[in-house]
Amino acid sequence: MIVGVSGINAFDNPGPGVGVAKSIKEDRELNAKVVGLSYDAMEPGIYMDWIIDKSYILPYPSSGHEAFLERLYYIKNSYGLDFVFPNLDAELPLFMKYQQELESAGIKTFLPSLEQFKLRGKDRLEEVASKIGFESPKSQVVTSYEELHKAVERLGLPVMVKGVFYKAYKANSLPEAVSYYNKIVAEWGYPVILQSVVYGEEMNVVGAGDGEGNSLGMVGIKKLWITELGKIWTGVTVRNEKMLSGAESFIREFGWRGPFELECIVDTKEDKVYLIEINPRFPAWSYFSTGVGVNIAANILRKAFGMSTKDFNDYEAGKLYIRFTDDLITDMSKFQKILVRGED
Amino acid sequence: MNRLSQLAINDEGFIFDPVRGESFTVNKTGLLIIKALKEGKSQEEIVRELVSSFNVEEEKARIDLVDFLERLRSLNLI
Repeated sequence: MIVGVSGINAFDNPGPGVGVAKSIKEDRELNAKVVGLSYDAMEPGIYMDWIIDKSYILPYPSSGHEAFLERLYYIKNSYGLDFVFPNLDAELPLFMKYQQELESAGIKTFLPSLEQFKLRGKDRLEEVASKIGFESPKSQVVTSYEELHKAVERLGLPVMVKGVFYKAYKANSLPEAVSYYNKIVAEWGYPVILQSVVYGEEMNVVGAGDGEGNSLGMVGIKKLWITELGKIWTGVTVRNEKMLSGAESFIREFGWRGPFELECIVDTKEDKVYLIEINPRFPAWSYFSTGVGVNIAANILRKAFGMSTKDFNDYEAGKLYIRFTDDLITDMSKFQKILVRGED
Repeated sequence: MNRLSQLAINDEGFIFDPVRGESFTVNKTGLLIIKALKEGKSQEEIVRELVSSFNVEEEKARIDLVDFLERLRSLNLI
Protein backbone atom coordinates (compact mmCIF):
# COMPACT_ATOMS: atom_id res chain seq x y z
CA MET A 1 0.00 0.00 0.00
CA ILE A 2 1.08 3.57 -0.59
CA VAL A 3 0.39 5.96 2.28
CA GLY A 4 0.52 9.75 2.11
CA VAL A 5 1.72 11.57 5.20
CA SER A 6 1.69 15.32 5.70
CA GLY A 7 3.35 17.38 8.41
CA ILE A 8 6.87 16.20 7.55
CA ASN A 9 8.24 19.52 8.78
CA ALA A 10 10.68 18.12 11.32
CA PHE A 11 12.10 21.41 12.60
CA ASP A 12 11.74 23.47 15.79
CA ASN A 13 7.95 23.30 15.59
CA PRO A 14 7.86 19.69 14.45
CA GLY A 15 4.89 18.22 12.64
CA PRO A 16 3.74 14.69 13.40
CA GLY A 17 4.48 13.37 9.89
CA VAL A 18 7.94 11.89 10.28
CA GLY A 19 6.92 10.00 13.42
CA VAL A 20 3.81 8.68 11.67
CA ALA A 21 5.91 7.64 8.65
CA LYS A 22 8.39 5.82 10.90
CA SER A 23 5.51 3.99 12.59
CA ILE A 24 4.06 2.88 9.25
CA LYS A 25 7.44 1.56 8.12
CA GLU A 26 7.92 -0.38 11.34
CA ASP A 27 4.89 -2.58 10.70
CA ARG A 28 6.54 -4.85 8.16
CA GLU A 29 3.30 -6.68 7.40
CA LEU A 30 1.92 -3.52 5.86
CA ASN A 31 4.79 -3.41 3.39
CA ALA A 32 3.92 0.24 2.87
CA LYS A 33 5.57 2.94 0.85
CA VAL A 34 5.30 6.42 2.29
CA VAL A 35 4.60 9.52 0.24
CA GLY A 36 5.55 12.79 1.89
CA LEU A 37 2.97 15.53 1.36
CA SER A 38 4.69 18.84 1.97
CA TYR A 39 4.10 22.54 1.50
CA ASP A 40 7.68 23.73 1.26
CA ALA A 41 10.77 22.41 -0.50
CA MET A 42 12.70 22.84 2.73
CA GLU A 43 10.63 20.44 4.82
CA PRO A 44 13.24 18.02 6.17
CA GLY A 45 11.08 14.92 5.66
CA ILE A 46 11.48 15.32 1.89
CA TYR A 47 15.18 14.53 2.27
CA MET A 48 14.76 11.60 4.68
CA ASP A 49 14.63 8.97 1.96
CA TRP A 50 15.07 6.08 4.38
CA ILE A 51 11.64 6.88 5.78
CA ILE A 52 9.85 8.73 3.03
CA ASP A 53 9.98 7.12 -0.39
CA LYS A 54 8.68 9.96 -2.54
CA SER A 55 7.62 13.53 -1.83
CA TYR A 56 5.27 16.02 -3.41
CA ILE A 57 4.58 19.68 -2.84
CA LEU A 58 0.89 20.38 -2.30
CA PRO A 59 -0.99 23.63 -2.79
CA TYR A 60 -2.15 25.14 0.51
CA PRO A 61 -5.62 23.98 1.55
CA SER A 62 -6.61 27.65 1.73
CA SER A 63 -6.06 27.95 -2.04
CA GLY A 64 -9.25 25.95 -2.57
CA HIS A 65 -10.33 22.34 -2.50
CA GLU A 66 -10.25 21.78 -6.25
CA ALA A 67 -6.54 22.41 -6.70
CA PHE A 68 -5.84 20.42 -3.56
CA LEU A 69 -7.86 17.38 -4.61
CA GLU A 70 -6.45 17.57 -8.15
CA ARG A 71 -2.98 17.34 -6.72
CA LEU A 72 -3.90 14.26 -4.68
CA TYR A 73 -5.46 12.64 -7.76
CA TYR A 74 -2.32 13.43 -9.73
CA ILE A 75 -0.23 11.63 -7.07
CA LYS A 76 -2.70 8.73 -7.12
CA ASN A 77 -2.37 8.38 -10.88
CA SER A 78 1.34 8.97 -11.24
CA TYR A 79 2.81 7.15 -8.23
CA GLY A 80 -0.09 5.66 -6.34
CA LEU A 81 -1.85 6.78 -3.18
CA ASP A 82 -4.11 4.43 -1.23
CA PHE A 83 -4.40 6.29 2.05
CA VAL A 84 -3.64 9.71 3.50
CA PHE A 85 -2.83 10.68 7.08
CA PRO A 86 -3.42 14.44 7.21
CA ASN A 87 -1.43 15.54 10.24
CA LEU A 88 -1.88 19.31 10.23
CA ASP A 89 -4.77 21.24 11.73
CA ALA A 90 -5.24 23.41 8.65
CA GLU A 91 -5.78 20.38 6.39
CA LEU A 92 -8.28 18.51 8.47
CA PRO A 93 -11.52 20.32 7.54
CA LEU A 94 -10.82 19.82 3.84
CA PHE A 95 -9.99 16.15 4.21
CA MET A 96 -13.02 15.56 6.40
CA LYS A 97 -15.36 17.36 4.03
CA TYR A 98 -14.16 15.49 0.96
CA GLN A 99 -13.44 12.08 2.48
CA GLN A 100 -16.20 10.43 0.45
CA GLU A 101 -14.89 11.88 -2.80
CA LEU A 102 -11.40 10.77 -1.97
CA GLU A 103 -12.63 7.32 -1.05
CA SER A 104 -14.40 6.93 -4.36
CA ALA A 105 -11.18 7.95 -6.10
CA GLY A 106 -9.43 5.14 -4.23
CA ILE A 107 -7.81 7.28 -1.55
CA LYS A 108 -8.83 6.22 1.94
CA THR A 109 -8.66 8.33 5.08
CA PHE A 110 -9.58 7.53 8.68
CA LEU A 111 -10.88 10.70 10.23
CA PRO A 112 -13.50 11.98 12.61
CA SER A 113 -16.72 13.35 11.16
CA LEU A 114 -17.15 17.12 10.97
CA GLU A 115 -19.52 16.82 13.93
CA GLN A 116 -16.86 15.03 15.99
CA PHE A 117 -14.26 17.53 14.83
CA LYS A 118 -16.30 20.36 16.34
CA LEU A 119 -15.87 18.79 19.78
CA ARG A 120 -12.31 20.05 19.79
CA GLY A 121 -13.54 23.64 20.02
CA LYS A 122 -12.51 25.18 23.29
CA ASP A 123 -16.13 26.18 23.77
CA ARG A 124 -17.07 22.46 23.89
CA LEU A 125 -14.39 21.40 26.39
CA GLU A 126 -16.69 21.54 29.38
CA GLU A 127 -19.30 19.36 27.70
CA VAL A 128 -16.75 16.77 26.55
CA ALA A 129 -14.94 16.71 29.89
CA SER A 130 -18.11 16.11 31.89
CA LYS A 131 -19.13 13.21 29.62
CA ILE A 132 -15.84 11.37 30.07
CA GLY A 133 -15.33 11.90 33.80
CA PHE A 134 -12.85 14.76 33.45
CA GLU A 135 -12.99 18.28 34.81
CA SER A 136 -12.44 21.37 32.70
CA PRO A 137 -10.99 24.73 33.65
CA LYS A 138 -13.38 27.66 33.39
CA SER A 139 -12.74 29.48 30.15
CA GLN A 140 -14.01 32.36 28.10
CA VAL A 141 -13.52 33.39 24.47
CA VAL A 142 -12.61 37.07 24.08
CA THR A 143 -12.26 39.29 21.03
CA SER A 144 -11.92 42.75 22.58
CA TYR A 145 -10.23 44.55 25.48
CA GLU A 146 -13.61 44.99 27.12
CA GLU A 147 -14.30 41.28 27.03
CA LEU A 148 -10.77 40.60 28.20
CA HIS A 149 -11.26 42.81 31.27
CA LYS A 150 -14.56 41.14 32.10
CA ALA A 151 -13.06 37.68 31.67
CA VAL A 152 -10.13 38.46 33.98
CA GLU A 153 -12.60 39.76 36.55
CA ARG A 154 -14.68 36.60 36.31
CA LEU A 155 -11.85 34.05 36.20
CA GLY A 156 -9.47 35.79 38.61
CA LEU A 157 -5.69 35.89 38.53
CA PRO A 158 -3.44 34.25 37.54
CA VAL A 159 -5.13 33.38 34.25
CA MET A 160 -4.06 31.52 31.10
CA VAL A 161 -4.19 33.54 27.88
CA LYS A 162 -4.35 31.24 24.86
CA GLY A 163 -4.53 31.31 21.09
CA VAL A 164 -7.11 29.12 19.40
CA PHE A 165 -4.48 26.68 18.12
CA TYR A 166 -1.12 27.79 19.47
CA LYS A 167 0.52 29.61 22.32
CA ALA A 168 -0.46 29.81 25.95
CA TYR A 169 0.80 32.30 28.51
CA LYS A 170 0.19 32.58 32.22
CA ALA A 171 -0.68 36.16 33.19
CA ASN A 172 -0.34 37.28 36.80
CA SER A 173 -1.85 40.72 36.34
CA LEU A 174 -4.30 42.52 34.08
CA PRO A 175 -1.57 44.45 32.19
CA GLU A 176 0.24 41.18 31.65
CA ALA A 177 -2.95 39.58 30.33
CA VAL A 178 -3.44 42.55 27.95
CA SER A 179 0.12 42.25 26.70
CA TYR A 180 -0.22 38.48 26.02
CA TYR A 181 -3.59 39.11 24.39
CA ASN A 182 -1.93 41.59 21.99
CA LYS A 183 0.90 39.20 21.32
CA ILE A 184 -1.43 36.33 20.41
CA VAL A 185 -3.68 38.53 18.27
CA ALA A 186 -0.65 39.88 16.37
CA GLU A 187 0.71 36.41 15.71
CA TRP A 188 -2.33 34.16 15.41
CA GLY A 189 -5.35 36.46 15.17
CA TYR A 190 -8.69 36.30 16.98
CA PRO A 191 -10.23 34.94 19.08
CA VAL A 192 -8.22 34.59 22.27
CA ILE A 193 -9.21 32.22 25.05
CA LEU A 194 -8.89 33.05 28.71
CA GLN A 195 -8.78 30.05 31.00
CA SER A 196 -8.59 29.73 34.76
CA VAL A 197 -5.35 28.17 35.99
CA VAL A 198 -5.47 24.59 37.24
CA TYR A 199 -2.61 22.92 39.03
CA GLY A 200 -1.16 19.47 38.55
CA GLU A 201 0.99 17.40 36.25
CA GLU A 202 0.83 18.11 32.52
CA MET A 203 0.02 14.80 30.88
CA ASN A 204 -1.15 13.78 27.44
CA VAL A 205 -2.76 10.79 25.79
CA VAL A 206 -2.29 9.79 22.19
CA GLY A 207 -4.88 7.37 20.92
CA ALA A 208 -7.19 6.42 18.11
CA GLY A 209 -10.77 5.27 17.88
CA ASP A 210 -12.20 2.90 15.27
CA GLY A 211 -15.41 4.92 14.89
CA GLU A 212 -17.42 2.13 16.55
CA GLY A 213 -16.47 2.93 20.11
CA ASN A 214 -13.33 0.81 20.30
CA SER A 215 -9.75 1.85 20.90
CA LEU A 216 -7.04 1.20 18.33
CA GLY A 217 -4.41 1.83 20.99
CA MET A 218 -3.46 4.57 23.43
CA VAL A 219 -0.48 5.69 25.50
CA GLY A 220 -0.26 8.24 28.32
CA ILE A 221 2.80 10.39 28.78
CA LYS A 222 4.15 13.21 30.85
CA LYS A 223 6.20 15.93 29.22
CA LEU A 224 9.43 16.32 31.15
CA TRP A 225 11.05 19.00 29.06
CA ILE A 226 9.45 21.26 26.47
CA THR A 227 10.77 23.85 24.04
CA GLU A 228 9.77 27.49 24.03
CA LEU A 229 7.04 26.58 21.55
CA GLY A 230 5.70 24.07 24.04
CA LYS A 231 6.90 21.08 22.02
CA ILE A 232 8.00 18.00 23.87
CA TRP A 233 11.72 17.29 23.87
CA THR A 234 11.85 14.73 26.68
CA GLY A 235 8.98 12.73 28.07
CA VAL A 236 8.09 9.63 30.04
CA THR A 237 5.28 7.10 29.72
CA VAL A 238 2.84 7.08 32.63
CA ARG A 239 -0.07 4.90 33.63
CA ASN A 240 -2.65 7.19 35.10
CA GLU A 241 -5.75 5.02 35.11
CA LYS A 242 -8.19 7.91 35.46
CA MET A 243 -6.71 9.64 32.42
CA LEU A 244 -6.62 6.46 30.34
CA SER A 245 -10.15 5.42 31.25
CA GLY A 246 -11.31 8.95 30.37
CA ALA A 247 -9.66 8.60 26.97
CA GLU A 248 -11.44 5.27 26.49
CA SER A 249 -14.73 6.96 27.38
CA PHE A 250 -13.92 9.67 24.84
CA ILE A 251 -13.66 7.03 22.11
CA ARG A 252 -16.77 5.18 23.27
CA GLU A 253 -18.97 8.16 24.12
CA PHE A 254 -18.38 10.05 20.89
CA GLY A 255 -17.64 7.13 18.56
CA TRP A 256 -14.38 8.87 17.74
CA ARG A 257 -12.80 7.80 14.46
CA GLY A 258 -9.12 8.35 13.82
CA PRO A 259 -6.18 9.60 15.83
CA PHE A 260 -6.40 12.14 18.65
CA GLU A 261 -4.41 13.69 21.44
CA LEU A 262 -5.93 14.73 24.76
CA GLU A 263 -3.97 17.34 26.68
CA CYS A 264 -4.67 17.10 30.39
CA ILE A 265 -3.60 18.44 33.73
CA VAL A 266 -3.74 15.73 36.35
CA ASP A 267 -4.27 16.65 39.98
CA THR A 268 -3.10 13.48 41.68
CA LYS A 269 -3.87 14.78 45.15
CA GLU A 270 -7.56 15.27 44.39
CA ASP A 271 -7.60 12.49 41.77
CA LYS A 272 -8.94 14.87 39.14
CA VAL A 273 -8.09 15.08 35.46
CA TYR A 274 -8.64 18.42 33.75
CA LEU A 275 -9.16 18.37 29.99
CA ILE A 276 -7.21 21.25 28.47
CA GLU A 277 -7.32 20.53 24.78
CA ILE A 278 -8.44 17.96 22.21
CA ASN A 279 -6.34 17.62 19.08
CA PRO A 280 -8.07 15.60 16.35
CA ARG A 281 -4.82 14.30 14.89
CA PHE A 282 -1.54 12.74 15.90
CA PRO A 283 0.74 14.83 18.13
CA ALA A 284 4.31 15.55 17.05
CA TRP A 285 5.53 12.92 19.52
CA SER A 286 3.30 10.10 18.25
CA TYR A 287 6.30 7.86 17.51
CA PHE A 288 6.71 7.57 21.29
CA SER A 289 3.74 5.20 21.42
CA THR A 290 5.16 3.09 18.59
CA GLY A 291 8.46 2.96 20.46
CA VAL A 292 6.76 1.41 23.48
CA GLY A 293 4.96 -1.15 21.34
CA VAL A 294 1.67 0.61 20.58
CA ASN A 295 1.77 1.34 16.86
CA ILE A 296 -1.40 3.37 16.48
CA ALA A 297 -0.76 4.60 12.92
CA ALA A 298 -0.23 1.04 11.70
CA ASN A 299 -3.36 -0.13 13.52
CA ILE A 300 -5.41 2.59 11.81
CA LEU A 301 -4.16 1.35 8.43
CA ARG A 302 -4.97 -2.22 9.42
CA LYS A 303 -8.51 -1.19 10.32
CA ALA A 304 -8.95 0.91 7.18
CA PHE A 305 -7.83 -1.92 4.90
CA GLY A 306 -9.76 -4.67 6.69
CA MET A 307 -6.66 -6.36 8.08
CA SER A 308 -6.59 -7.81 11.59
CA THR A 309 -5.98 -5.06 14.13
CA LYS A 310 -3.66 -5.48 17.08
CA ASP A 311 -5.06 -5.42 20.58
CA PHE A 312 -2.80 -3.15 22.62
CA ASN A 313 -3.78 -3.74 26.21
CA ASP A 314 -0.68 -2.54 27.95
CA TYR A 315 2.56 -0.63 27.73
CA GLU A 316 5.36 -0.07 30.17
CA ALA A 317 5.37 3.05 32.34
CA GLY A 318 8.73 4.75 32.82
CA LYS A 319 9.93 4.60 29.21
CA LEU A 320 11.76 7.74 28.14
CA TYR A 321 11.32 9.77 24.97
CA ILE A 322 14.30 11.77 23.79
CA ARG A 323 14.04 14.02 20.74
CA PHE A 324 17.30 15.11 19.18
CA THR A 325 18.50 17.19 16.29
CA ASP A 326 20.54 15.70 13.46
CA ASP A 327 22.39 16.76 10.33
CA LEU A 328 21.88 15.51 6.81
CA ILE A 329 24.11 16.31 3.85
CA THR A 330 22.70 15.74 0.38
CA ASP A 331 22.97 16.93 -3.22
CA MET A 332 21.42 20.12 -4.47
CA SER A 333 19.65 18.07 -7.15
CA LYS A 334 17.01 16.83 -4.71
CA PHE A 335 16.15 20.40 -3.75
CA GLN A 336 16.15 21.47 -7.39
CA LYS A 337 13.78 18.70 -8.43
CA ILE A 338 11.32 19.30 -5.63
CA LEU A 339 11.40 23.02 -6.32
CA VAL A 340 11.07 22.82 -10.13
CA ARG A 341 8.94 19.70 -10.54
CA GLY A 342 7.15 19.81 -7.20
CA GLU A 343 8.06 16.18 -6.60
CA ASP A 344 10.97 13.85 -6.14
CA MET B 1 -4.29 7.42 48.41
CA ASN B 2 -1.21 5.38 49.29
CA ARG B 3 0.82 5.15 46.15
CA LEU B 4 3.88 3.50 47.64
CA SER B 5 2.79 0.13 46.32
CA GLN B 6 2.84 1.47 42.76
CA LEU B 7 6.36 2.90 42.90
CA ALA B 8 9.10 1.30 40.86
CA ILE B 9 12.23 1.18 43.00
CA ASN B 10 15.70 0.03 42.06
CA ASP B 11 18.54 -0.94 44.37
CA GLU B 12 20.48 2.24 43.68
CA GLY B 13 17.74 4.38 45.14
CA PHE B 14 16.04 5.54 41.94
CA ILE B 15 12.28 5.70 42.32
CA PHE B 16 9.72 6.21 39.55
CA ASP B 17 6.08 7.05 40.15
CA PRO B 18 4.17 5.67 37.12
CA VAL B 19 1.00 7.57 37.98
CA ARG B 20 2.58 11.02 38.07
CA GLY B 21 5.60 10.38 35.86
CA GLU B 22 7.89 11.75 38.56
CA SER B 23 11.20 10.34 39.62
CA PHE B 24 13.09 10.68 42.89
CA THR B 25 16.38 9.56 44.29
CA VAL B 26 16.94 8.46 47.88
CA ASN B 27 20.02 7.51 49.85
CA LYS B 28 20.49 4.11 51.48
CA THR B 29 18.54 5.12 54.57
CA GLY B 30 15.62 6.38 52.49
CA LEU B 31 15.71 3.25 50.36
CA LEU B 32 15.52 1.02 53.44
CA ILE B 33 12.55 2.99 54.77
CA ILE B 34 10.64 2.99 51.49
CA LYS B 35 11.17 -0.71 50.95
CA ALA B 36 10.08 -1.43 54.52
CA LEU B 37 6.95 0.72 54.10
CA LYS B 38 6.12 -1.13 50.89
CA GLU B 39 6.40 -4.39 52.79
CA GLY B 40 3.92 -3.04 55.33
CA LYS B 41 6.35 -2.87 58.26
CA SER B 42 5.45 -0.78 61.28
CA GLN B 43 7.38 2.33 62.34
CA GLU B 44 8.85 0.41 65.30
CA GLU B 45 10.10 -2.34 63.01
CA ILE B 46 11.64 0.22 60.70
CA VAL B 47 13.38 1.99 63.59
CA ARG B 48 14.88 -1.36 64.66
CA GLU B 49 16.06 -2.02 61.10
CA LEU B 50 17.66 1.43 60.88
CA VAL B 51 19.45 0.90 64.19
CA SER B 52 20.85 -2.46 63.17
CA SER B 53 21.73 -1.50 59.57
CA PHE B 54 23.30 1.89 60.14
CA ASN B 55 24.62 1.61 63.68
CA VAL B 56 22.72 4.67 64.97
CA GLU B 57 21.01 5.38 68.25
CA GLU B 58 17.36 4.51 68.44
CA GLU B 59 16.29 8.08 69.17
CA LYS B 60 18.22 9.42 66.18
CA ALA B 61 16.70 6.74 63.91
CA ARG B 62 13.22 7.58 65.15
CA ILE B 63 13.68 11.31 64.42
CA ASP B 64 15.04 10.60 60.96
CA LEU B 65 12.15 8.27 60.22
CA VAL B 66 9.57 10.87 61.27
CA ASP B 67 11.31 13.49 59.11
CA PHE B 68 11.38 11.19 56.15
CA LEU B 69 7.73 10.20 56.53
CA GLU B 70 6.83 13.89 56.62
CA ARG B 71 8.71 14.36 53.37
CA LEU B 72 6.86 11.44 51.74
CA ARG B 73 3.59 12.93 52.95
CA SER B 74 4.42 16.30 51.45
CA LEU B 75 5.09 14.54 48.14
CA ASN B 76 1.73 12.84 48.47
CA LEU B 77 3.35 9.41 48.36
CA ILE B 78 1.82 8.15 51.60
